[in-house]
Amino acid sequence: MSSKTATTLLPEERRKGFKEIHRCYEPHQAYLEASRCLMCEDAPCTQGCPAGVDIKKFIRKIRFHNLRGAIREIRKANVLAGICGRVCPQELLCQKECSNTEIDIPIDIAALQRYVADVELRRSVSPPVRQFAQKMKVAVIGSGPAGLAVAANLAQKGYEVTIFETEAKPGGLLAYGIPPHRLPPPATQKEIRYIKKMGVKIKCNTKITDIDELFKKDFKAIFISVGLPGARKIGLPGENLKGVYTALEFLKDVIENKGKTKKTRIGKRVVVIGGGDVAMDAASCALRLGAQRVDLACLEGYDEMPSSPEERRISWEEGVEIHTRVMPVRIIGSKGRVTGYKGIGIRWRKPGLFVPSNAIPIPGTEFSLKVDTVIEAIGQLPDTENVKGFKRIETAGPGYIVAKKKTFKTSRPGVFAAGDIVNRGATAVQAVADGNAAAEAIDAYLKRKSKHRVTSNQ
Amino acid sequence: MKTIPVNLGIEFCGVKFSNPFILSAAPPTDDLDMLKRGLEMGWAGAVLKTTSVEKNKVELVYPMISGLSFENKKVVGMGNIDLISEHHIDLVEKRVEALKKEFGDERVIAASIMGAKKEDWQGLVKRLKAAGVDVIECSFSCPQGSMGEVPGAMLAQSVPATEMVTRWVKDAARKTPVVIKITPMVADIVAVANAVKKGGADAICASNTIPSLMGIDIENFIPNPNVAGKTTYSGLSGPAIKPITLKVISELSKTVGLPITGTGGAVNWIDALEFILCGATTVQFCTAVMHYGYDIIEDLCEGLAFYMEEKGISKVKNLIGKSLPYIVGHDDLSRKNRVTSNIDLKKCVRCGLCYYACQDGGHQAIELGRDRKPEVDEEKCFGCGLCQSACPIDGCIELKESEKPRKIAIV
Ligand SMILES: Cc1cc2nc3c(=O)[nH]c(=O)nc-3n(C[C@H](O)[C@H](O)[C@H](O)COP(=O)(O)OP(=O)(O)OC[C@H]3O[C@@H](n4cnc5c(N)ncnc54)[C@H](O)[C@@H]3O)c2cc1C
Ligand SMILES: Cc1cc2nc3c(=O)[nH]c(=O)nc-3n(C[C@H](O)[C@H](O)[C@H](O)COP(=O)(O)O)c2cc1C
Ligand code: SF4
Ligand code: SF4
Ligand code: SF4
Repeated sequence: MSSKTATTLLPEERRKGFKEIHRCYEPHQAYLEASRCLMCEDAPCTQGCPAGVDIKKFIRKIRFHNLRGAIREIRKANVLAGICGRVCPQELLCQKECSNTEIDIPIDIAALQRYVADVELRRSVSPPVRQFAQKMKVAVIGSGPAGLAVAANLAQKGYEVTIFETEAKPGGLLAYGIPPHRLPPPATQKEIRYIKKMGVKIKCNTKITDIDELFKKDFKAIFISVGLPGARKIGLPGENLKGVYTALEFLKDVIENKGKTKKTRIGKRVVVIGGGDVAMDAASCALRLGAQRVDLACLEGYDEMPSSPEERRISWEEGVEIHTRVMPVRIIGSKGRVTGYKGIGIRWRKPGLFVPSNAIPIPGTEFSLKVDTVIEAIGQLPDTENVKGFKRIETAGPGYIVAKKKTFKTSRPGVFAAGDIVNRGATAVQAVADGNAAAEAIDAYLKRKSKHRVTSNQ
Repeated sequence: MKTIPVNLGIEFCGVKFSNPFILSAAPPTDDLDMLKRGLEMGWAGAVLKTTSVEKNKVELVYPMISGLSFENKKVVGMGNIDLISEHHIDLVEKRVEALKKEFGDERVIAASIMGAKKEDWQGLVKRLKAAGVDVIECSFSCPQGSMGEVPGAMLAQSVPATEMVTRWVKDAARKTPVVIKITPMVADIVAVANAVKKGGADAICASNTIPSLMGIDIENFIPNPNVAGKTTYSGLSGPAIKPITLKVISELSKTVGLPITGTGGAVNWIDALEFILCGATTVQFCTAVMHYGYDIIEDLCEGLAFYMEEKGISKVKNLIGKSLPYIVGHDDLSRKNRVTSNIDLKKCVRCGLCYYACQDGGHQAIELGRDRKPEVDEEKCFGCGLCQSACPIDGCIELKESEKPRKIAIV
């Protein structure tokens, strides 16, 4: 596909700063794209959306000039329509089975979704009014997509929902992880304001360290969606040198300082270690901050990388040098600062299993890169402090919360959990989908509980 | 954004409809289960497909449908060589009873009829009335012709016959509203509509399909649809005929003064609203349903309701005929209007389509400058509007009032 399209900025233009890569459709563009949709019966696209957005229906609504109906349809299943329209790896989800692929190219579902969401937010449409006040309080810990989805759903059902958030701004990784050229902070905050209008309270700068406290404050149910704020480290020799960062600290720095950095310093030559979307984001941010060359070294082959193909293509277009099937050996330094990266080529012991323990170094393929900055992007971990504060809740591994499938109940009655902290890291739309389901389970739990109380009081 | 609460309900010939959208007499209304499905989804009513008395045999042929495509668009129009329903009044009266029983006054059940003789017409009316029908619609315009004296001719192509048969039907129907479905394929549609009025009908259904030849398979020279090597003329429906329907509705609203139920080319709520703005009270749908399914009703209702909320119009009634004052005879149009083409170069994609159009179909007022940038010479531009129609980008070319007089070059 040509890299110039009406809605995507050219790579040269993109590299200059943090302008959003994809522009929003103009009305005629949205209409044209919508009119390509075949409006399939039993549409396969919907099966591919974790949140179950009725895609054919919302596209039909665009086509039939019913934009308000279209956004209402999307928000029924995904309250973060505009955000997910920007960040969903659609080619792996809804777009994957699109029937139009058999004709030419799949429908740009995410772009259409974003279009209707943007139009709505621009026109400041109010959310539907809440059904009736239940006057029961629910606490949500963490304001990422899982927490926002639970809160929005429960607020619609009439509960009094308060979200507690450690950081100064709500949104979780939407606010502190995904860089501005993919998800501009105003787009995130606008959609969060929409959720606040539904009646959700959000208390920022408030870290919850003990959930018993919340129960004491009369919260009848608690939802944990604390995500994975910790960064995994490889444990390489030289990792403590100056100039070695984790992708999470780097990206947060970039976002907080609006495209500049304070705590991290990007030099002229950067290597990013990792092959996921986080690595791609770190690499593209490093380019935007003026690095002359950015290498990305990952364990996987090009088609084995966990990043979405679209993200990979975009980073490659912008000039990131991608080294595949290599593993780092050490970080080289001098006078306490990074001066180089040393890696080696690998092959897989068992085919199809792309993890470090399955990698066998190939002797004679050692190579080194002259770099002054190393960014590690090899995965996220639970916050160990959280693990301590969440008493009587079963966890697994380094502190992932164990919750039942479908209901998202934890081992402690009245406590539910979903999102990255349970699924060990997936996507924003998965967090929303799980949040939707959890909201249903919480509603059922509270209804049962209040009925029980009424009868026992008599 | 400020909005007001709205009500889509509307009254037509004294019958209450929960919204202005109805299923027209066609295949989507020719099966009881299908009808129930459609009405459950929210259609305000249905006109059961045209039926007749048992002795009038109906023999259908297949294939009967052919689509009209334009470039990449399917079903821009649809041609059919269907006839009236194969199901006779004995079955249709049962359907009416079943639907009335199931939906009561929630949904309007109308039935379409066609007969040859006076007894046929009146017999049909009496049986439908007994079954509890809300409205009777008479097909005077089947493109394959009516069951009258002249083979192949439509009843509504004769002014006296239209008036006479309308009177037969109304005499039998009495209080039950009678709607006559006419054809635009006449020299003087106002005369036909006046005959309908004189005959005593309560309303007009305007208007049916347009007799057409759908296209030819150039390999074997046989036109569509190919029925064992032969074809006949089809009735054209769907988006392609909307402008014709709008003209008929507006013309009749201005001159005849009977309520109108519109049919012919509506697909979305904007089309339907246009029918209403031209004077229709309700709008019927056939091709759009056959193409996209009954559930388009959701978008029709939502689309119209949102529009009214934002526009501050609380009742559909207040929209009826709103555009009529703006339609006048050619002589009454201003001769002083001076507009010229204005191109928004930020939106322009430099395709040169406006240039082509103006060069070969206009007044050579557009030049392509450097980088294929189109420039309008205001003094040469007549403001004909051709470039605006040709430009692929919405809102890129606008016609704006101009101070500069036209320079007339006479060669
Ligand atoms: C760089 C990067 C790029 C990504 N790109 C994409 C993408 O393109 N598409 C996509 O779908 N997904 C992407 N993801 C993944 C996606 O962001 C996550 O899957 C999603 O945000 C998980 O949502 P969550 O609600 O579970 O947790 P999070 O978004 O992590 O939110 C958890 C929140 O809880 C707060 N918190 C933690 N502990 C406490 C406490 N004790 N008290 C109060 N608050 C607390 C945290 O501060 C945080 O705000 C990306 C992730 C990263 C890191
Ligand atoms: C296959 C087919 C069968 C039809 N049969 C009838 C009929 O029996 N009686 C009738 O009054 N109109 C009949 N019509 C006309 C439709 O009711 C409708 O008036 C016409 O198709 C124009 O509307 P549309 O553009 O919404 O389809 C038929 C149309 C089609 C396509
Ligand atoms: S699969 Fe593709 S073409 Fe079919 S309804 Fe979904 S988006 Fe449209
Ligand atoms: S939420 Fe994401 S996956 Fe679902 S339809 Fe929208 S873009 Fe596709
Ligand atoms: S037709 Fe429209 S887009 Fe094309 S050159 Fe003319 S003004 Fe520009």
